Amino acid sequence: MFRDNFNLAYKNIKERMSRSILTLLGITIGIMAIISLMGIGEGMNVAVEGELSSLSDTIIVNVGEGFSIFSVDQLDNTGEYLTERDITDLERIPGVKEVNTQLTGMASLSFNGDGNSVFVTVTGMDIESMNLLYGLADLSEGTLLEVGDQSKVIIGYDVAHDYFDNDVSIGSRVKINGKKFFVNGIFNQQGFGGVSTNDDIVLLTSRDFQKATGESNIFVATVSVLNVNEVESIALEIERVINENHGDEDFASATSMSSILDSIQSIMGILQTVLIAIASIALVVASIGIMNTMLTSVMERTREIGIMKAIGATNKDIMSIFIIEGLLLSLVGGLSGIIVGILGSQAVAGFLSNMGPGGGGPPLEPVVTFMAIGLGLSVSMIVGIISSLYPAWKAARMSPIEAVRYE
Amino acid sequence: MSRGVIVTKDLSKTYGKGELKVYALRKTNISIKQGDYIAIKGPSGSGKSTLMNLIGCLDKPTTGKLYIDDTDVSTLSENNLAKIRREKIGFIFQKYNLIPTLTALENVTLSMGFAGVDSKTRIRRAKNLLDMVELSHRISHKPSELSGGEQQRVAISRALGNNPTIVLGDEPTGNVDTKSGNKIMDILENINNQGETVIVVTHDPNIAKRARRILSIEDGVVMEENV
Repeated sequence: MFRDNFNLAYKNIKERMSRSILTLLGITIGIMAIISLMGIGEGMNVAVEGELSSLSDTIIVNVGEGFSIFSVDQLDNTGEYLTERDITDLERIPGVKEVNTQLTGMASLSFNGDGNSVFVTVTGMDIESMNLLYGLADLSEGTLLEVGDQSKVIIGYDVAHDYFDNDVSIGSRVKINGKKFFVNGIFNQQGFGGVSTNDDIVLLTSRDFQKATGESNIFVATVSVLNVNEVESIALEIERVINENHGDEDFASATSMSSILDSIQSIMGILQTVLIAIASIALVVASIGIMNTMLTSVMERTREIGIMKAIGATNKDIMSIFIIEGLLLSLVGGLSGIIVGILGSQAVAGFLSNMGPGGGGPPLEPVVTFMAIGLGLSVSMIVGIISSLYPAWKAARMSPIEAVRYE
Repeated sequence: MSRGVIVTKDLSKTYGKGELKVYALRKTNISIKQGDYIAIKGPSGSGKSTLMNLIGCLDKPTTGKLYIDDTDVSTLSENNLAKIRREKIGFIFQKYNLIPTLTALENVTLSMGFAGVDSKTRIRRAKNLLDMVELSHRISHKPSELSGGEQQRVAISRALGNNPTIVLGDEPTGNVDTKSGNKIMDILENINNQGETVIVVTHDPNIAKRARRILSIEDGVVMEENV
């Protein structure tokens, strides 16, 4: 019986081909939007996870509020710093493998004997921390520093191009507080797109920092732990130790990379949910489209429905014919939506990767999971069934005599 | 005990209420035996369509009883009526009423499908029936590719698909030329000769004359006419 009803539904769709295609286009667009958004979202997750999971044994300790993806470039200005004692105490905490420090201070920067010098924030850290924190950042020119490098700096894009009359380039000589440094690398412009902005940075080794500024203000310490599973408990312990040293409950924060990863993921999750909710509106519209088409079809086929009832079709038969028809429309629409969605996510990912100044977001590979495909299919099926229920019920309710009289 | 394949008891149908009440069929008592060949004759608006819709279980009476094969169908639910229609009654309509998207063969198998006949049996039986009405060469044609007479013969095949007790024709020759009309009536008579009960609604006296019994209907009153 199902096969007969399927046959009837299929022939009817075929008979009204252009209308059917227009109707299922709505579903295609809705499902396409959902599939491609999920694919890109999942791709972003995988990319972020891949980049940050190698840092999962790392805890970042800083003065003031926690290190978060929102406040990383507002970490200056507290005027308070970690002390040598703090660092020694950190090294003593069981499970801690290594502590690296990052020094921050203000210094005057001049270029090319240019009479103008500018006051900038300079950051000193050892090579390991530099690799850890900036290893992923793109350099437009040059390289990061290596062990043994002396009197070399890495500068941000704005420092190189906006601060002085002439552009600073690789190998240029700059002076920090009157001491000579060679520019070893220049960061790509980040604008507001990046996780933190490196555009105004002046980066050198801890030794050079102390040489140039005569200070050793520890602003950030990066702690690596022996056992990744202990990362959270050690972070708590670090906060306790430092806050105790300074007699202030909120003096410092210790944030594990995995908690940063969690917060990035939860933000992306919210973003994705919002986008998918918007895409769902397309599906609601599509389902109204199906219902409209089916209702028109019921009206047009009043006589046909009457004939079928006269020759013995029950209400159930009639309903199933129309529901199968709606289901067929939405399934074909859904399937093509999935295919177009997969292609679309590739295109959007390519576009996103090439967007931004300097053409350089990280490469993004969309990930379309089986779950997304399954979701797309079931959503389109549900839409098909729901939107054909009312027309089917209307068709089934028709009296055979009214229908046969219609001529 | 068989009182006849169709028996009505004070069967009536009215439309509207109060002063606007219209009697489409007044208390009617008829009995039709298995194998009868009956013509229901009358001008338009006389109530013959109402009577046919009632006998065909497309409509329910206002009062009175209608027995088909000793089953009181006047109180049956819609789904049970559908069951009676597909098992006991074969319809032939004036305008053929084939499903336009289906081929001749599919149109004939359709009602057998509703009755749950398996697909092999269905196709075999449909082919035999189409062969009987001399359309075996047209089985994969759609209604739009068939002439009026051919479409009506497909409709006859469809009506016979489930071996009905009664074949009901509503002006079966009303839309075809005389030659095709005669062919259709020959087929119906042939079916009747094989023991099938055939009821034909017509306003054409020549068609009515071919039947063994004529029920004449006027203003909702049914009278037996002598043949």
